[in-house]
Amino acid sequence: MASKELDTSFSELLVTEGSDSVGQSNKLEGQGSNDDAQITCFTEDLHDVTFHFQIIKLTKQIYVWIGCNTAKFGHLYAAAITRPNKTVAVTPVLGGTSDNTGSGIARRLVLKTGLNIIVACNIPKDSPTLEVTAERKLFEKLKSLGYIKPRPEGLPVRSAHN
Amino acid sequence: MYSSQPTRFPVTHKSVSLDIKGNKTDIVICKYDDKFLVIVTQIGCMGTILHARKEGSVSTEPTFSVSVIFGKRDEPWLLACGRQLIEHISCSGSSRPLVLSLGLKDHSPETLKELTVAVIENCLCYLAAILKYAIS
Repeated sequence: MASKELDTSFSELLVTEGSDSVGQSNKLEGQGSNDDAQITCFTEDLHDVTFHFQIIKLTKQIYVWIGCNTAKFGHLYAAAITRPNKTVAVTPVLGGTSDNTGSGIARRLVLKTGLNIIVACNIPKDSPTLEVTAERKLFEKLKSLGYIKPRPEGLPVRSAHN
Repeated sequence: MYSSQPTRFPVTHKSVSLDIKGNKTDIVICKYDDKFLVIVTQIGCMGTILHARKEGSVSTEPTFSVSVIFGKRDEPWLLACGRQLIEHISCSGSSRPLVLSLGLKDHSPETLKELTVAVIENCLCYLAAILKYAIS
């Protein structure tokens, strides 16, 4: 690695201030092109728990972070439809090897959206109620954003993201 | 521009879209309690995901560990990019690990160098700013 070249480049960098979105739900729906990353952040306050959701919609993939009371990153899972029989494969990417909280959410997200999914989730292990509640809130939001479109018969299909 | 929400969302983020060697590149950087996430994509998905962290104690020179946790494991320039970024994060005063996703159309050294410079110029200055804000 030519680190000296990069070091030289770094010393010549000018610090520029760009617009930032600290603390802002930076929803880009309706703004920019469909190729841009669309970021949605929202919080759901329930009786004894607070869920934070961050959805980053890329052209061919959706990244979701679910925070349960804290803003820790949690375990990371990747899920996708595998050919030829179109089953869903889920794998832990970071953490999550001793418990699979979040892997079920990832799997069902793929089934509902038809896209590749990356899920980061810090819901405590052995909390199926929390997982179900978070998943329900998440799916409601994804439906409202148009990432999941219901079929006429009531079953969801892959959203038209292109 | 800030929203008028009564409470701030606990994860801060910044997104930037720029051109690297003719390819439209989306960069999203997020700060969680215990990690930074940097997504760089030219192909509409996260691509290869790397994990980079600082090791070593306070009294010794820091060392860094970078590994591919998802995707291409035979592209050394991706690791080099992660190594540069985690070192910059460390120099900014944070010990948080970095989750870096690189979804690139080409993995040439020129692209990775330009990308690393772009991330540091556009995003890590933002990181340094919010870290200083958090510390002060």
